[in-house]
Amino acid sequence: MSEELKPDVEPTAARSTVPIWIVVLMLVLLYLGATYFDRHSGWFDQQVYAPYSSAGELALYQPKSGAAALIAHGRTVYENVCGTCHGNDGLGKANQAPPLAGSEWVAKDVVSLARVPLLGLNGPIKVAGQDWNLAMAPMGAGLSDADLAAVLSYIRTSWGNQSGPVSADDARTARAAISGNSPSAADLARMTPVERGHEVFQKYGCAQCHGPDGKGGVPNPNAKTAELVPSLIFVADGYNKAELTTFISRGERVIPRKNPEGPEPPHFMPQWGKIVNTNELNDLADFLFSLKPKGSDVGF
Amino acid sequence: MKNKFGVFLLGVATLTLLSAVVARAEDQLDAETKARIEKFEKGPATIDVSKYPQGIQDNYEVFSSKCTQCHKLSRPINSDFVMPDEWSRYVKRMMRKPGSGIDSADGKKIYEFLVFDSSVRKKAMLDEKLAKATPEEKTAAEAKIKEVHDKYDK
Repeated sequence: MSEELKPDVEPTAARSTVPIWIVVLMLVLLYLGATYFDRHSGWFDQQVYAPYSSAGELALYQPKSGAAALIAHGRTVYENVCGTCHGNDGLGKANQAPPLAGSEWVAKDVVSLARVPLLGLNGPIKVAGQDWNLAMAPMGAGLSDADLAAVLSYIRTSWGNQSGPVSADDARTARAAISGNSPSAADLARMTPVERGHEVFQKYGCAQCHGPDGKGGVPNPNAKTAELVPSLIFVADGYNKAELTTFISRGERVIPRKNPEGPEPPHFMPQWGKIVNTNELNDLADFLFSLKPKGSDVGF
Repeated sequence: MKNKFGVFLLGVATLTLLSAVVARAEDQLDAETKARIEKFEKGPATIDVSKYPQGIQDNYEVFSSKCTQCHKLSRPINSDFVMPDEWSRYVKRMMRKPGSGIDSADGKKIYEFLVFDSSVRKKAMLDEKLAKATPEEKTAAEAKIKEVHDKYDK
């Protein structure tokens, strides 16, 4: 049979390789896509994708200037430092902290108001006609003048409070007027590390939760640690200096619960590293190590 | 040659993603500790103590009953603590927690078990840490390990 008489064969496409430019283009797109995803996605954080609940909330996040910026920054400081007890709504919490909304304490002069976060406040007081008898640590002692001014401004202008904003200069003046009680730099230089650590212990109000001598015993309902804030007198046994200062710096936001179904224990260890400086931390560790009772070695 | 370019691009893309993940992890101070604990807890939750001396086997019972009150046993079993001073601090730290229910006699048994076990089951890790320690630390650690072995090895 000659070639011409063969039946027609079904035509097929010739095999050919995928052009390299397509491969390159796809890889470039993958690279750009990954970069874009990385920069703009906020990963899989729910907050990034959740819609704003109102136009007001959206407006809250817009850039501000002048007093508005100061107050917006104050809100951040407030919610980090004060809100846990006084409530983000400024209404306070029963048996924990009095309200700031409508409080006559907020309407006082700047020095009197600044005294509370800078020195803490203990004992019986009256707020808006109601009696309170609690203890507050000097939570604002470690804030910068700018942060202190911002947070005071926020408090004085929010929740119906009508006092004006506070400038960083006002905050500096108030701090200077108040710090007359604490030891001077010269005093501190003369003290031993343990003595300085004791000052640090008092300055930041560690005693409010851990007891005046660090012996603990303050109730912390539903905490796994026998519903108590732990004593500190044996930290010398359980920590070396690096471990202890690291722990104090990081704090412990989530306290294990005695009953997992029960409520969150009200007290937690704040992240002191943001507030207490390194020298103070080292002195504090020396003070805490000095608390260990003599003759309490357990033999291992 | 052409292939190499594709591999190069894919590599770049992978690295970008990876580095983003790493940067993300560093944001959280505690993430590292958390990850360490999770890794430990994924390991085995028991130790075969049948070849250990009887006293150490008894101490293992104390260890497994006391320590599981608050956390999984796999956490200490697979942890990277091996040095006697590490165990001494951690056992005391746990013991001093209010309501731990561990008295100093039990604490000592747990400590001795952990030191013994680390010197056998985690010997490689222990030797590595001893090699990195200062001469004084090394001598002190070896003395403490010997103390436990002398007490229990018969």
